[in-house]
Amino acid sequence: MVNNSFTAVIEKNSTFTGPFDTEPYEAAWAHEARWFIRAMDLQGTLSLTPQVSPDGLFWCNEGRDPLVIRQPGVYSFALREFGGWLRLHGDVTGEQAKAKVLIYLVLKE
Amino acid sequence: MNRRFFTLGLGGLASASQVPKAAMEQPAGQQVMLDPSALLLANPELSRFRPLRRVLFYDDFDDGINGWVELQANHNGNLDDLRPGFNDMRPPQLSSCTFFDVGTHGSLNGTYSLKLATRPKPFHSAVAIKRFTYSQPCRVQLEMWFTYKPEQTFDGDTHWDGNASPAELNFGDITLSTDICGGVGGPRYMLVLRYANTDLEGKMVQKWMYNTSLEPTTKMYRQGRAVPQIVDHHVRNVNDWADVPGGHQPLCFNEMPTKVNWHYLRWVFDLRTRKHEELQVNELAMDLRNIPVLTYDQPYYAVNHLLNLVIDVRTHKAVRNFLFIDSVLVSQDV
Repeated sequence: MVNNSFTAVIEKNSTFTGPFDTEPYEAAWAHEARWFIRAMDLQGTLSLTPQVSPDGLFWCNEGRDPLVIRQPGVYSFALREFGGWLRLHGDVTGEQAKAKVLIYLVLKE
Repeated sequence: MNRRFFTLGLGGLASASQVPKAAMEQPAGQQVMLDPSALLLANPELSRFRPLRRVLFYDDFDDGINGWVELQANHNGNLDDLRPGFNDMRPPQLSSCTFFDVGTHGSLNGTYSLKLATRPKPFHSAVAIKRFTYSQPCRVQLEMWFTYKPEQTFDGDTHWDGNASPAELNFGDITLSTDICGGVGGPRYMLVLRYANTDLEGKMVQKWMYNTSLEPTTKMYRQGRAVPQIVDHHVRNVNDWADVPGGHQPLCFNEMPTKVNWHYLRWVFDLRTRKHEELQVNELAMDLRNIPVLTYDQPYYAVNHLLNLVIDVRTHKAVRNFLFIDSVLVSQDV
């Protein structure tokens, strides 16, 4: 058999104006994960920090530097050895800060 | 992931009641015939099901997502146009049922189950759909093993008696439905059944219900024939539900949000009569033949012989609600 993969659309044309956390997502079955962020409209700066959790309730930063986005476009980063749960902690800062995004989580065995 | 391989005998999967008695009797000296029901009952993958004659598909979520995808409204390329209530039905997950207190619970058979998870927002629904078409009108049976939980909260109710947990009041409802087109251009109809754990006032009701109005379609919205409401996407008005006769059924919540007990469900409907037939959940079998089924009053194109199965979970509170499905088996009688 071929290996499993799955793409979850975590946020769909969502607009954020300050701090936010994406919904918890279970990924224990996957060996690798890659976040994709499509910044559609952006005023200010969008920063995204990957977080991990043992239970989907209590979270800590995964350890890598935040992804900082200042221009619309598609951005991505990969994670490995992340345990069972993933989410992003985000923040939008600056004058009249606003970010409209699509966020994808791509998982592969 | 666990991938299991199994072999079905040539006798197929017909239940004992469907096998001619003569085929089971073995006169001395003649060739021994296999009892098809014995093949089913001896197969640890399938013995927990009671399929009709032909298995259409068997989804073990240890093997992956099996075609269950987030339901979404129709659009023409612009996701801003998704109608309210149908724009955020959440991607399904492959869950190991892992909790903060006991770790990984696993599924009924293996590690992973299909998980639908709402946002922690009152009346938010998480909805998964499996899409196919039917090759001939017949009886169709959906079977699944499932469990349901609200997310663990930490508000420490001092009135807890050590047995019945107030957390059970944090779970809203589960809905099973179909979207079916009976030919080319219609008629299009939906069969909808709901297990209401709590009502809209938060009281425990624990009963099965059916819809008394149809879910407005994107076409109806664009025709100006429907007013958006985001509390309950299945019906036109949120109270458009009636009780299934004999449908009161306390399920096994088992005291806490982190103890998982799996339930059996079997739902039969008939594509020839366009009617429900029966719903069985654990020990309770409900005769659904007199439940009215509603049909849209206009044609729908590009959905010819559509057969969609839809499963969803809805929270009534600002607490995530989860529906876990260990496995699904769909069969038909021809």
